[in-house]
Amino acid sequence: MADSREPQAAGGGGQAPIPPQPQGGGRGGQAPPPQAQGGGRGPQLPPADPKYHWTPPHTAIGTHVKRLDGPDKVTGRAKYTFDINRPGMLYGRIIRSPHPHARIVAVDMSAAQKAPGVKATLIWRNPADTQRNAAMFQGDEIAAVAADTEERAIDAARLVKVEYEVLPAVIQVDQALAGAAPAVFQPSNVRQGQTQETGDIAAGFKQAAYTLDQTYSTHVITHVCLETHGAVCEWDGDNLTAWVSTQGVNATKDGFAQGLQIPASNVRVITQYMGGGFGSKLGAQDPQAIICARLAKDAKAPVKIMLDRKEEHLATGNRPSAAARIKAGVTADGTVTAVDAESWGTGGAGAAAGFPLPYLYLPPNRRRAHKDVFINTGQQRPMRAPGHPQGSFITEVYMEELADLVKMDPVEFRIKNLPPDSPNAMHPSYLRQGAKEFGWDKRHPTGDTTPGPIKTGMGVAINTWGGGGSQGRAHVEISSDGTVVVRCGTQDLGTGTRTLVAIVAADTFGIPVGNVKPEIGDTVYPASGGSGGSTTAAGISPAIRIASVNALDALKEKVAPALGVEPASLVAANGRIQAKDNPSKSMSWADACKQIGAQPLAADGAWQPGLSSVTTSGVQFAEVKVDIETGIVKVTRVLALQDCGLVVSRLTAESQVYGGIVGSLNFALFEDRILDRNTGQMVNPNMEWYLLAGMSDIPKIDIRLMDQSERGVIGVGEPPTVPTAAAIALAVRNAIGVTVRSLPLTPAKILQTLAQQQRA
Amino acid sequence: MASKDDKPGGFAFTRRDFLKSAGVVSAVTAASAPPEAEAQTAGVNAVGPGEVPVRLTVNGKRVDLMIEPRVTLLDALRMRADMTGNKRVCDRGTCGACTMIVDGRAVYSCSTLAIEVQGKQIRNVDGLATAAGLHPVQQAFCDKDALMCGFCTPGFVMASVALLEKHPSPTPEQIRKGLDGNICRCGTFSRIFEAVSSVKGVTRG
Repeated sequence: MADSREPQAAGGGGQAPIPPQPQGGGRGGQAPPPQAQGGGRGPQLPPADPKYHWTPPHTAIGTHVKRLDGPDKVTGRAKYTFDINRPGMLYGRIIRSPHPHARIVAVDMSAAQKAPGVKATLIWRNPADTQRNAAMFQGDEIAAVAADTEERAIDAARLVKVEYEVLPAVIQVDQALAGAAPAVFQPSNVRQGQTQETGDIAAGFKQAAYTLDQTYSTHVITHVCLETHGAVCEWDGDNLTAWVSTQGVNATKDGFAQGLQIPASNVRVITQYMGGGFGSKLGAQDPQAIICARLAKDAKAPVKIMLDRKEEHLATGNRPSAAARIKAGVTADGTVTAVDAESWGTGGAGAAAGFPLPYLYLPPNRRRAHKDVFINTGQQRPMRAPGHPQGSFITEVYMEELADLVKMDPVEFRIKNLPPDSPNAMHPSYLRQGAKEFGWDKRHPTGDTTPGPIKTGMGVAINTWGGGGSQGRAHVEISSDGTVVVRCGTQDLGTGTRTLVAIVAADTFGIPVGNVKPEIGDTVYPASGGSGGSTTAAGISPAIRIASVNALDALKEKVAPALGVEPASLVAANGRIQAKDNPSKSMSWADACKQIGAQPLAADGAWQPGLSSVTTSGVQFAEVKVDIETGIVKVTRVLALQDCGLVVSRLTAESQVYGGIVGSLNFALFEDRILDRNTGQMVNPNMEWYLLAGMSDIPKIDIRLMDQSERGVIGVGEPPTVPTAAAIALAVRNAIGVTVRSLPLTPAKILQTLAQQQRA
Repeated sequence: MASKDDKPGGFAFTRRDFLKSAGVVSAVTAASAPPEAEAQTAGVNAVGPGEVPVRLTVNGKRVDLMIEPRVTLLDALRMRADMTGNKRVCDRGTCGACTMIVDGRAVYSCSTLAIEVQGKQIRNVDGLATAAGLHPVQQAFCDKDALMCGFCTPGFVMASVALLEKHPSPTPEQIRKGLDGNICRCGTFSRIFEAVSSVKGVTRG
């Protein structure tokens, strides 16, 4: 088990490599943006055989198919990890450090061991192990207990006596940057990245007619998965079955093998349903899962550990903060000629805080120096489009300020500073189309002059994301009764993967989606990648397509003699297998499958290039009303134009966009991990003071999924959550006439900014 | 009982009141002691701390449990009766994933003690669908894709049922207000709103 306190490589978490300056513009020919897991480029394989291509017409792909597991979810029948109750199951509870930085001097489990119902205990941070005996954040794991009821486990956990030597902690980023914080991290609390430079920054500023010098920042938020992290572990001899709330069943299997020093073949991981991950559940060796397995082994009984809400906020990841001092220059005709950025952010104890900057609008002359600041909080983990919402906010706000300096319309200014359309960078035309549809021509100049306290405004921002994937494998079986089973070792986070699996197969066979039974979320199925970086759809769809075409080819071989035609002349459509040019030579799907016999027809498929692609484009417009007497922002309308290649499952793809927008609205207005600046304690580790939008906060949302079906499948989970926050912030700016340069846009901050402007 | 519409429920020691009043016990006793609490201090009707028999009526069926008095309605059903439909998310009466209907009113079951709802009619999501099929609210959620991960869904479904039984033809404002006690992290609100707006035929409860 790697010590979680080891400094992480740039990007943090070991899962989402985000170099400080990825030029992730997705411009023609450039490298795709950074992605968590999988990346956009698969192994160098020859492109898939044309017979596997996504040839229209489609009967299921691109249509509104109701989520197959909807009925299970609305009735409560769907069993999440949290719902797994095994015979004789115990409940585990983790004892965590209350201090942001402390040395563990002694751990006394004796009272806990004698407590009613306690069956097993373990010490996670052994005081004698000098490599591991420090708690580096509030919530760091120290020890654990398992008891026969959850209440008794909680009681027993309180009886564990931990003696701490409280150590100085780094709490405030500003103090760390100023060298005024205690020296905690090695070699330093601040890690200076390499300065990256393109073009000639001095020459760029010389060309500029106007310059800007401002500082922008975003805050730390947590994932707040409604189902907390957790596991149920059950041993049968040396074999472990683990139900885990994870975004990657296969990585988790490997994580158990490494963390427990057992063969991977002894481990089975199951995730039939999971209540949200957003990037925080990619960790293959999450401490609570390993602890759960060890307690179960010791107690010789199944153990369930589901974290409580406070633990979830403290210890299971967060979106790092981001800040940048930007100096930028623009010519009188609106060309940005130079951007000089000093950026920093914190991903917690030893974790990086990378984000792309500038985001998408790349001037010819630019320089960036980035610092990761380490503080004593839980480490960051990838969170829905890691780095992009932060880079987007900073870049879009200074771009808007530059547009105002040259008195240009913000949409035209953006188009002027973007490259022309290309298939993976469609921003200029989407901006034009969106502006027209949104009524951008009714936008007033910065500052609503309408009398009264309610001011309205509009804003716009753009996004990109990779969304490619290459780690998909699938197994398809057709039985003589006409049923189709697709097995794929992927998992459904709530994105609709289970439904997508069935759609791809049903479309290939020309049969109703309901006739396909998808089997996923289990390591007994063909291993596929983790669901991170929007890679799932693009990773598994080609595999399922290939396996299905292979199975169909085998079926055609069986059917062709009966129809007296060549197998190659047969096609599957509308529930029939028929000769391409002679519909009279046909057989119903049911009759065709009767030719199969007792042994089902089986075929396999693995991802191949040519059926999926990488890099999406999107733009979003937002309209807000701001009450300048209370500072309250109400988002009234959002319009999203988003492409994701070939839309496989239209209903769930749209839901992803809705969800991304709401997530970004939360980032803009509500969420904030608030630390006590002296003690380092999170003061809102709950859901009443850690604010999230409710039904009354939701604007009217219009979604346009832009057709790029010729590009193949691309994921859409991440991109829509990138630009909403910036669009909202700019709409607020347009409404109130002053720029709030940091998130979240709380009422207090808006009133304060307005008051500062009045004084000025 | 932690009622979601904040009207006096007439119930005794709720977990939420306890959270509110922790540390100011004497003040609570003096100012607003419910009758049962007074009885307790007088040494009458005290229960626990060990397990006590609790009889619940859930979805019209009797559920007999031996549980500690501190066990919430949610945990009693989830961990002792394997009714895992409703979820525990915030565990503090904020997010609504645990929403059940007790005597016709939506309550946060994570903040309602099981012993407090003996003799009441409790409905949770596990019993909402019948042999005839899904409840109209459940069907509407499926039709409109008003769910993603589905973890908030049981609570939203129960809150919607309670709303529609009170207002069979709700105004948009009543829907928003009626569901403001529930949080969806995946962000499916627009489609939940659409789903609830589309439901017809729920009769006043």
